[in-house]
Amino acid sequence: MSGEPARRAPFTGRSAVARRSLLRAAVAGLAAPGLATLLESCGGGSTGSPSARETIPAPDNPVRWPTSQANPMIKSGLTPERGSTLRVYNYADYLSPRFLRDFEDKYGLDVRLSTFNDADEALTKIASKDLAFDVYFPSYDSLGRLVAADLLRPLNHDYLTNAGNLWPRLRDPWYDRGARYTIPYTIYSTGIGWRTDMVPTDVAAMSNPYDVLWDTHYAGNMAILDDWHTAMAMVLLRNGIFDINTTDPKDIALVRDQLLQMRRTMKPRVTISMYTEMPAGQYGLCQMWSGDAINLPYYLPNKVSTDVLRFWFPEDGRGEVDNDLAVVLAQGKNPVAAHVFLNELLDDKVAGTNFAFTGYQPPLLKFTPDSLVADGLVPQNLATAVVREKDFDTGIPLLQLPAAADAAYHQVWQEFKAGG
Amino acid sequence: MRGVAGWWRDPWRRPWGLLVVTVLYLVWSLLPVLVAALFSFNAGRSRTTWQGFSMRWYYGDPLRSVWHDASLHTALTHTLWLGVLVTALTIPLGVAMALGLDRWRGPLPAGANLAVLVSFVLPEILIAVSLLFVATVLTTPLRLGTSGQVIGLVTYQLSYPVVIVRARLLTIGRDYEEAAVDLGASPSRAVGRVLLRMLVPAIFASAVLVFADVIDDFVIVRYLSGDSSTEPVSVKVYNTARAAPTPALNALTTLLLVTSLLVVVLGYLAHRRFTRGEKAGGGLDVFTGEA
Amino acid sequence: MAEAAGPRGARWLWPLLAVPGIVWLGLLFIAPMYVVLAILFGGVDPILRQPVPVWNPVDWDVAQFRYVWDHVVGAQPFFRPALVRTVVYVGLASATCLLIAYPVAYFTARFAGRWKGPLLFALIAPFWISYMMRMLAWVNLLQTDGLVNRTLSAGGVFDVHENWLGGRPSTVVLGLVYGYVPYMILPLFAGLDRIPVATLEAARDLGASRWETFRRITWRLSRPAVVVSLLVTSLPMLGDYFTNDLLSGSPDTSMIGNLINNSVLTPGQTGQAGAFVLLILLVSIVPMLLYVRSTRAGTDVQS
Repeated sequence: MSGEPARRAPFTGRSAVARRSLLRAAVAGLAAPGLATLLESCGGGSTGSPSARETIPAPDNPVRWPTSQANPMIKSGLTPERGSTLRVYNYADYLSPRFLRDFEDKYGLDVRLSTFNDADEALTKIASKDLAFDVYFPSYDSLGRLVAADLLRPLNHDYLTNAGNLWPRLRDPWYDRGARYTIPYTIYSTGIGWRTDMVPTDVAAMSNPYDVLWDTHYAGNMAILDDWHTAMAMVLLRNGIFDINTTDPKDIALVRDQLLQMRRTMKPRVTISMYTEMPAGQYGLCQMWSGDAINLPYYLPNKVSTDVLRFWFPEDGRGEVDNDLAVVLAQGKNPVAAHVFLNELLDDKVAGTNFAFTGYQPPLLKFTPDSLVADGLVPQNLATAVVREKDFDTGIPLLQLPAAADAAYHQVWQEFKAGG
Repeated sequence: MRGVAGWWRDPWRRPWGLLVVTVLYLVWSLLPVLVAALFSFNAGRSRTTWQGFSMRWYYGDPLRSVWHDASLHTALTHTLWLGVLVTALTIPLGVAMALGLDRWRGPLPAGANLAVLVSFVLPEILIAVSLLFVATVLTTPLRLGTSGQVIGLVTYQLSYPVVIVRARLLTIGRDYEEAAVDLGASPSRAVGRVLLRMLVPAIFASAVLVFADVIDDFVIVRYLSGDSSTEPVSVKVYNTARAAPTPALNALTTLLLVTSLLVVVLGYLAHRRFTRGEKAGGGLDVFTGEA
Repeated sequence: MAEAAGPRGARWLWPLLAVPGIVWLGLLFIAPMYVVLAILFGGVDPILRQPVPVWNPVDWDVAQFRYVWDHVVGAQPFFRPALVRTVVYVGLASATCLLIAYPVAYFTARFAGRWKGPLLFALIAPFWISYMMRMLAWVNLLQTDGLVNRTLSAGGVFDVHENWLGGRPSTVVLGLVYGYVPYMILPLFAGLDRIPVATLEAARDLGASRWETFRRITWRLSRPAVVVSLLVTSLPMLGDYFTNDLLSGSPDTSMIGNLINNSVLTPGQTGQAGAFVLLILLVSIVPMLLYVRSTRAGTDVQS
């Protein structure tokens, strides 16, 4: 594996960030916006020593984030300004349009939803601070960076009256002790979805179901997720490597080899639109998020029965289980509305509306996995796509990677996406 | 009867082969668009199966029609606004530059000429990436959003009026100006009253072309877009087409199609009016930038 | 024109008119290329891995450029397939465009008669029909349950279930052709339109066969227009990435535009996008100079 490009010393220190701001100011002859903030956060004690910059939360390493000095908590008891605009930044099709409309009507403001294709793109746009998004939906694999770059506003829990609806284990999660910055949004697992009318193999009965994604019978008839970490973790799991956040170069090399082999022999489609493409018959087999699996019946044409849909997740629970978060960005102009929005997400009825639209489970007490199937919200043949609380005990989350490993993983993914 | 061989050898026979090719090309070129426009009237959610006629995606559906879905109609209005703004900036700048470069000699204008021609054929992604870098690392009026998009588009489109107007200038020549000056007009008046008047068709043609090109632009406006309120129709289509599109997307593009059709037809009619009296068919050459 | 200026005493007028445009191009077309270099040879901030430009060439760091270069010509050239593919796709697409555009333009120029106006109108139409709408139309048609498969199935006679959108080079090339052929038709039409019919008639009267007339007169006279239209079509195609994104979800049909698009918004890889941009610029300099020369030659002949 070729080494990552060496960085010269001046660009590895905090001085780089300050220097960038100075350069901006010098060139433009104007004071760079946020210069004071950046210098303050660099020199101030909010992130402490350089090693704290790489604080990586994990289930066995829970983290309580320091409260931001530069971005104070908002005062309690405020109401959102009528007529203002709330800027939400999220994946496409990840919030119900009905919920957004109801929210607008209820509080008399405008919700402007902007979408991104992947977290990398989102982070780049947020880093520019020009766009002043209020609410963002990351996962915990970028939480450390968001906090270190001082992009988040600490939550004022007085506004989060619905927090009691949450599953207890997510009220005080390991990635954010005290829920300083985040609320959980949805929970999901990552597995394999397929259509029995296009894939005769009983994937669930295989000794290593991940192998079906390399089964050349299905070449040109499958897809994997266009998300570098999720896709690469799947390769690790296929090989029985359960540390899906490994930094071992040998493991990364193995992933590279098998990904390239898959690309060569299987001609996979690389996308995040499985929830529309598989029902449309574009392919019959894919790596899939559980929420997309639950959403499949909605997009299935009338003449195809929902019985053909299947989803597999490891029976022993040792697969990828994650949850997405919602955070308030410091750059937003409407933090009060943002807090209210977050609180609404935790409301049972709203969560039900969002779940009906997106298929992704809300981690609320009212939505027990058993009731979802019993109430007919999820067909029986997709019951494996429902995430149970015990899955969090056995499941393996995708964590933030240290910078060097992150670059190495991205390099492999870049090579994969460059085509052969 | 001369027979088939005679028919084949006849130098003045009708070119049926070419006609068939042309007709086939037109069908291939325009039919998919008509089908897409047709499906915008689909009663169901499918974009491939006809489920009945309905205006639901235009204004009927209370959540997802173009009328009710803010992200869709904002894309339309933003696209048209960009078109108007960019055309209004590009045409004066470009026409003035064409006039100046045509008459001014020296290394600087020669270099500028080269830059104009290069920007005419350069892949758009180069300009888009360079301006994205400027927007993200420098503090200038060029920011992500409308300002960046307008500035980027003007830069990219500037070559259009310059090329078209210069081509026209070559055909016009100097005689009229010099006659005006001989009759006592000052040089700037000669330009203003005589030359510009004669350039009106070319200016109009370039305005129409720039407008049409701007509302269709994708690469520059995508990289320089801010939040969803600055996403024009092309970016909206790209983002939504890769997720879960509804026929509302077809409706949006059909509306844009109708609008640009109106603009082009108006431009063409105005152009016809302005070029009345000139040699037949020569007027349209100006649209190709080659006249 | 040999004269240095227009009517007497107007020497200040022309520079004055040209300067705003020149300043604009200088600031916003030429200067940003330096920003690209500053980012390519710059660094990356440690937290969010956003690009940090370095303005002084003395401090430039070639690491990012070297990384891209090494993976184009070095031991593990994983960027090379995409670059080769770009050249192949653009070449095929441009050739196909020419095969389609030439007969259409020729017909319009010579045989359209009173239909010339409406025909030109129909040919110009794709210019103002959004490119995205045209591509979206094809995505709908080419879906597995779309009209193309259904038409080919001829109402149930065959069972055609081709996956046109599953990473096929042919779909991408045809998509490029569909998108860019209108750009070729107009310059070709303009060039062919200029060939005086009298010359052709004279050749026929003198006994030349149809093929000879075409080869010796039409083709020869239209060659400059062919060159210009090929360049005007193929150069912009080099930067295309969205045709591939919409018509194929597979990495195996990616072009250099996709390499740029994938890296420009990825933290830590933005500088590499600058390297690809530079690469496109370098590769297209020769064709661009050719284009500039051809247009100059064209205008000289005209005046």
